Amino acid sequence: MDPKGSLCSNNWARSACLTSPGNGLQTNMSSDPSPFCGVRVEAPFKDFNQPSTNQSLLMAEPNKDIKISDIENCPLTDSSSQTGKLQDWDPNVMLNNLSFLEEKIHQLQGLVHLIDNKKCQPFAQPDALVTQEQQLITADLTSIIVQLISTAGSLLPSVRHTLANTSPLVSQLSQLRGLNLPFGSGPSGGIQPQNNNVNKVFDQSTQNDVPNNCELEQNNMEEHETKDEEDVEEGENLPPGSYEILQLEKEEILAPHTHFCTICGKGFKRDANLRMHMRGHGDEYKTPAALAKPHKETGSEPKLIKRYSCPYAGCKRNKDHKKFQPLKTILCVKNHYKRTHCDKSYTCSRCHTKKFSVMADLKTHEKHCGKDKWLCSCGTTFSRKDKLFGHIALFQGHTPAIPLEETKVPAVPTDLDSKDNTCDKVGNMNFCFGSNPPNENEVQNIMDVKGNIDDPINYFSSLNFEGCNFGGFNEFSQSPFEDSDASFSFLMSGSFNYAPKPGGESTSDNL
Amino acid sequence: MSESLLCVLTEDLLVRVLHHLHSDADRKSWRLVCKHLNRVESLTRTTIRILRIEFLLALLHKFRNIQELDLSLCPRIDDGAVKVMLSQGSPGWTRGLKRLVLSRATGLGHSGLEQLVRACPLLEAVDVSHCWGFGDREAAAISCGTRLREVNMDKCLGVTDIGLARIAVGCSRLERLSLKWCFEISDLGVDLLCKKCFYLKVLDVSYLKVTSKSLRSIASLLNLEVLVMVGCSLVDDVGLRYLENGCPLLKTIDVSRCNCISSSGLISLVSGHVDLVQIAAGYCLSELSGPLVHCLKNLEQLSVIRIDGVQVSDFFLQTIGKNCKFIVELGLSKCIGVTNMGILHLVSGCGSLKILDLTCCRSITDAAISTIADTCPDLVCLRLESCDMVTENCIYHLGSSCLLLEELDLTDCSGINDIALKYLSGCSELVRLKLGLCTNISNIGLSQIAYNCRKMAELDLYRCVYIGDDGLAALASGCKKLMKLNVSYCNRITDKGMEYLSHLGELSELEMRGLSNVTSIGIKAVALSCKRLADLDLKHCEKIDDSGFWALAFYSQNLRQKTCYAGNTWFLQPV
Repeated sequence: MDPKGSLCSNNWARSACLTSPGNGLQTNMSSDPSPFCGVRVEAPFKDFNQPSTNQSLLMAEPNKDIKISDIENCPLTDSSSQTGKLQDWDPNVMLNNLSFLEEKIHQLQGLVHLIDNKKCQPFAQPDALVTQEQQLITADLTSIIVQLISTAGSLLPSVRHTLANTSPLVSQLSQLRGLNLPFGSGPSGGIQPQNNNVNKVFDQSTQNDVPNNCELEQNNMEEHETKDEEDVEEGENLPPGSYEILQLEKEEILAPHTHFCTICGKGFKRDANLRMHMRGHGDEYKTPAALAKPHKETGSEPKLIKRYSCPYAGCKRNKDHKKFQPLKTILCVKNHYKRTHCDKSYTCSRCHTKKFSVMADLKTHEKHCGKDKWLCSCGTTFSRKDKLFGHIALFQGHTPAIPLEETKVPAVPTDLDSKDNTCDKVGNMNFCFGSNPPNENEVQNIMDVKGNIDDPINYFSSLNFEGCNFGGFNEFSQSPFEDSDASFSFLMSGSFNYAPKPGGESTSDNL
Repeated sequence: MSESLLCVLTEDLLVRVLHHLHSDADRKSWRLVCKHLNRVESLTRTTIRILRIEFLLALLHKFRNIQELDLSLCPRIDDGAVKVMLSQGSPGWTRGLKRLVLSRATGLGHSGLEQLVRACPLLEAVDVSHCWGFGDREAAAISCGTRLREVNMDKCLGVTDIGLARIAVGCSRLERLSLKWCFEISDLGVDLLCKKCFYLKVLDVSYLKVTSKSLRSIASLLNLEVLVMVGCSLVDDVGLRYLENGCPLLKTIDVSRCNCISSSGLISLVSGHVDLVQIAAGYCLSELSGPLVHCLKNLEQLSVIRIDGVQVSDFFLQTIGKNCKFIVELGLSKCIGVTNMGILHLVSGCGSLKILDLTCCRSITDAAISTIADTCPDLVCLRLESCDMVTENCIYHLGSSCLLLEELDLTDCSGINDIALKYLSGCSELVRLKLGLCTNISNIGLSQIAYNCRKMAELDLYRCVYIGDDGLAALASGCKKLMKLNVSYCNRITDKGMEYLSHLGELSELEMRGLSNVTSIGIKAVALSCKRLADLDLKHCEKIDDSGFWALAFYSQNLRQKTCYAGNTWFLQPV
């Protein structure tokens, strides 16, 4: 990717006067909906190519998380098949990818030229139209860049592929690659089936539950007529449509931030915080409209109660479970998933024995840890004396232990072998945003879990040194995607996944 | 004793004779007769009290069959000493040991204690009372004695629920346990104790911060006979109601100084246990209510009742006299409302009364005491402190009727004079006599007592200002067994009197505060001869100088505590 180009685009976007995107570009866009598959086609955007639709829609959707999850959905579902395919490093595929990259870069150039042309035109168009076009172009840019990144990722040496078995992140990467591969071979041909591979949990569930759902859902159904097998069977055991079931993918669940600044890439947990942050990027973000809470979907549409499903198969919170019990909020999903299906990576710094997967749990524990340690002769510890005494009363021969001195529990080293997929993932995502390092605890923990790095600080700094990455991305993100923060944020996180991979060329290099 | 006589007596005969000797002095004489008798004594001896730790090893070597070892006078015993005892003492001395008294052995650590307990396979009782430094680890050490039946942990200040739990789990056969002043113990510990030690018969939880919850746990103890819970101010009537239906064998209960209990709680307790033998409820009620007295009517087995500091009525005393025929001890100390009439009603039914405490019942007069003396011939102990209407008239009755009287407290009874003491000398069994503040008695009266009450062991003459050297001379010649003597502020006593006192070989406690006429010479005489002297109070004896103290330090090897006050300086010298 040409930094200059992105800069140009940036400039252009600021000037904001685009009539219509180039034709070739348009086809390209439409041929590449896969990364944005969480698309809910909304009426006004229907005519536009898909990526842009997606983005604008995401903009309008209050539940960005879900959208993002949908987007993430695609790589994951593919993962099993794709990783296997990509095990061996095929020079042919490589070549295909390279040619694809070439093509994409050409497209990009065309787009930039177009922008350049538009620049000269007077600002005659009404504001709304201008912004709409702006959106389109930014979406186009985004999609191309994403394709570039993902394809470039597939060029990484085969070491990756072996890793792919263990590391979900890499598997995800390979999925992305897999998605892109068809484009490489045939820009317009192989896309559709790929697109179909992408399954929309949300859509399906709603489809199955509520046959007569709104137009929106139907559109989606049409779009993805061929669904993935596993997902089709979903929902059959569900009670008839009392609520809508949403299922986030684990990558989404584990993402530290869900809202990202389109300008500097900084991540936020809340949209409101992001909006506050955006004010710093210019006056256009200070308008009441920009600062206002994004509108909920139009009230005309019947609002269904939303419930969430855990993506972990076999879990009681998974919608496939016979006695499925939905989770109420996204927060519940996050906490449930971390607690139940993730390694407990946060170790209490006081006792070095208790582990937690949710930071809040650790903090709650640390409040009480070590204050009163009631120990039985059998080795069981209790936080409360009465619990210990109840235990002793229950078991014959157990007595309270009297600590001779401060009992030193040896610091249990985090299990080096068990590389936690999720945390790895999170780690990578975190590290990607070198410009806005995630909160320290998380970083610390991730590094613990990764374990292959002895000195976390070194690791951390080495990441920071990959400045080229971030530089590149920063340039990339300079373009004002002001209205597509959510989708773009995902894009960034997804694409950034490549960045910290040691051993491989950094993404920006590829670009 | 001739050689031939000893040949006649075989060892088992000697043992049987020896069994009739109880006092230490007599046994000492026995030992001194000859090697043979000495050997018999040392073989049959089961109890040994070590006065000085340096003789411990030799004594352990000599007395091989001891069952009880009392180290309470060796506070300096420590872990090292225990190690030496176990390694260098005769190998078998711990084998038969059943009882270990380590009261005030504050120097002992948990490791030493554990070694000691582990070395005694038959150990059944341990007394670590007043080892204030003891905590959970020491309790854990004690819990190694799995056969323990009796543990006394009074004032082991560091023992918490954890320590108690260790003992409860380790010593499940425990029958007697005292936790007095173990302030750290709470309901949790008591609850666990009650769950683990089913055989508990005697439990003392005095002054613990336990609540009624503990009583609920205690109520589940089926074998409990004695429950002492003095000063448990968090226990209320709810707790006593738990007891109503629990502890079926309960015989003795002490709820003194439990501020939060009332008559209704006591009623429920009493109605659940009609065969109660002892009740102590001093300083917890303001007055005995009518319903409670009615309930007490049903307690036919009742023999001891102590209701100090309560307002009582004649009706109560009458009820007790009518219904509790077996009453043996009655404590009415500081009770308001005790009248002559009440006492008359009481004793008319209770002929078997042995101990009567009328301390500070100031309205009692000669009439009541005379009646008591006439109707209670078995009276052993009578406390009349501050009953200042008592005169020689009633003492006459006491002296002629209560021939078994062993203890009499006449402190601050200003009506007592030499004539009264003359009458009193008829009570030849008197062992303890308190005449403090009886300022009307003189050497003459004291001589009467001294010559007739030869078993006297304890005598209090505090501020009997007319007592002088002659009185002490009479004491020294008459009361050879005197062990405790208080002559504080008897200013007429001089060095001469001290010299008389030095003939009292048994004397172990001597209080002589404010004897301004006694000098170092007198003290030296006492120090030289009274070898058993352990406690000495010399406060305000201003004429005693360094030479006196040197003498004490040199001669009185058994002195444990000496209180002196000279000028502005306090010397407290525990040896």
